[in-house]
Amino acid sequence: MTTHPTLSEIDRYAAGEPGLDEATVWSIEVHLESCADCRARLAGSTTAASRALIAEVAAAVDREIAAGPKPRSKALFRTPLRQRWFVAALLPWVAMTAAVLGTAALLTHLVPELPSIVLLLAPLAPLPGVAVAWSRHADPAWELIAGTPSAGLTMLLRRTAVVLVLVIPVLAVFAASGASRANPALMLLPCLAFTAATLLLGSLVGVRRAAIGLMAAWAAVVVAPSLATAELPVLLEPAAAGAWAILTAVLAALTLLRAGSFRRLTSF
Amino acid sequence: MRRVAHGDRRAFDELYRRTAPWLEVRLRRRCADPDVVADVLQETYLAVWRAAGSFAGDHVKGSAAGWLWTIAAHRLVDAFRRRARQAQIPQVHPTDTVVPAAEDEVLAGRVGQELEQALAVLPPEVRAVLRATVLDGFSVRETSVLLGVPENTVKSRVRRARIALREALS
Amino acid sequence: MRAVSTAETATTTHPWAIHAEALKVRAGRHLAVDGLDLSLTTGVHGLLGPNGAGKTTLMRALATVVKPSGGRLTLLGRPVDGRADLRPARRALGYLPQHFGYYPRFTVREFVAYMAWLKEMPKADIPAATQRAIDRVGLAAKADARLRTLSGGMLRRAGVAQAIVNDPQVLLMDEPTVGLDPEQRLDLRELLRDLGTDACVLVSTHLVEDVVAACTEVVLLNEGRLVWQGTPDSLAAHGDDGHAGDSPAERGYSALLRRHRAEAAR
Repeated sequence: MTTHPTLSEIDRYAAGEPGLDEATVWSIEVHLESCADCRARLAGSTTAASRALIAEVAAAVDREIAAGPKPRSKALFRTPLRQRWFVAALLPWVAMTAAVLGTAALLTHLVPELPSIVLLLAPLAPLPGVAVAWSRHADPAWELIAGTPSAGLTMLLRRTAVVLVLVIPVLAVFAASGASRANPALMLLPCLAFTAATLLLGSLVGVRRAAIGLMAAWAAVVVAPSLATAELPVLLEPAAAGAWAILTAVLAALTLLRAGSFRRLTSF
Repeated sequence: MRRVAHGDRRAFDELYRRTAPWLEVRLRRRCADPDVVADVLQETYLAVWRAAGSFAGDHVKGSAAGWLWTIAAHRLVDAFRRRARQAQIPQVHPTDTVVPAAEDEVLAGRVGQELEQALAVLPPEVRAVLRATVLDGFSVRETSVLLGVPENTVKSRVRRARIALREALS
Repeated sequence: MRAVSTAETATTTHPWAIHAEALKVRAGRHLAVDGLDLSLTTGVHGLLGPNGAGKTTLMRALATVVKPSGGRLTLLGRPVDGRADLRPARRALGYLPQHFGYYPRFTVREFVAYMAWLKEMPKADIPAATQRAIDRVGLAAKADARLRTLSGGMLRRAGVAQAIVNDPQVLLMDEPTVGLDPEQRLDLRELLRDLGTDACVLVSTHLVEDVVAACTEVVLLNEGRLVWQGTPDSLAAHGDDGHAGDSPAERGYSALLRRHRAEAAR
């Protein structure tokens, strides 16, 4: 707290006297910003013209407030609210993912001689959502957002996190119900690795294409052969968990290095 | 302040009663046209009322007065932009001996003797720029609108002030 | 005192707010902007041209939404083509697209505040800046209405509010007057002139009268190239009674376009 100005200084300040030297004016203004008492003293020193203006404005503000709607008192803006449109856009995809996994669980239950289809499909679960996260088609306001400084890897990662927050509980439910007949880590780690791979590949060809390509590749190279041979691939044996964890970390690190590629929203 | 944020009309009137005189005097010292001062004052308090709900407590850091001034200052720039094309607003030009300031020292309110002398060597137009940027928190761009001088001039005056003060203080 | 004089001469800022050299931008497979040279500074500039002239594609490239396929582009002295870091330029940018999507359940205030947040404004400044932008476009009474309940003109003004919320130094508006009634159109022109006092405002429109009323300069585009650049008055001086149009400026516009087409055909 600075020293209080004298009453005569306040009087001269309130009167707008040009003779008051600027050093004093400066320190008075700094002081008034933080001292309610001196502001009250200043209010008592105002000129008649000032008082008339203040009363006039008070009346005008009154009229405007009476004419306008009452302000909404609810506090604006928490992060979940910012993301709510995105959650709404994702829900159909999450529902679809859950339905596919449910069907897979049913199949696994009915045809016990096949390897766990839930486990085979789990790595792909977040990919449709990630594709939606960085596509012009899914975000109605993409053209507005694409020109803002926030558009970039950070925004993509934030949205990917929302996808994972929605998808992982679904996977956890299946893992807990025993439908996968496997260690939960083997459901989650490949799923994270595929998410990171989608982002990394997406920095080259676009996130949507990357997601579609990886889903097709996994289905052709791993899912189809293991269904044909009725054997679980080595990749999803419990021993592979460590490798998946390392792969996830490497892919994530590489993605961060390619952050510059996400400055513009891809057009596909 | 929190009660204003909840749409409490009596708290708002109290805020007006306590802060409007101060704001009016401060604005009047920066703009000689009472109509503009009245407009800015009205817009400022209406904005406080209308946006009350979104001013959660954490948005008002520091003093409520400093925050009110920030709102008013932006509205003042808008008013100057509006009038810049029509008629020049009579500005209040500080012609007297100004202050000093390596910014921090001024903001801390410790206006030392030697600083005062140092600032005395600065021409009035340089002091005006210093006041707008340091004390009132305007950006270079806003200062240029307020004082009616090009942005580059504002920048060079700020630089001149800094160098002169540093020399005087060393 | 020597130090003072060096400081004086050391003052240099970018002379152009928008500077394009031989700029090429694709819209799909079509080269919509084809070798454009353009330099703009503070003021309100009207971007005129027939449909298909490349106005919207140019606006998108300037807004850093699409990447130029050739040439050079700087905003406020910062390159925004190729692999440049776009964030500093984007913070100083305001953009109103021709057709913009939005989240229908957001209120005007939430929408504008969300955009302010995306533009990386300090969090503490957002509520006041949002209210200021809403006041400036005359939507104060509708600040807490949901976007889906607004009329076309109001929605357009909400779009303008999000564009100006960060007090941009470069403001790009694609057809801002569409859907506005005559009175709102006058208000918007007034606002554009205010903004033009210390920002570079580029307004794309197909209405010659908007340009004459609100702009300090006219930029005429045809087939992705700059046809002509000058004041509204000198645009009017180009026309005579032999050209189509209801006003001198419109006749000037048709005269310049016809001349450009004739030159291109040769």
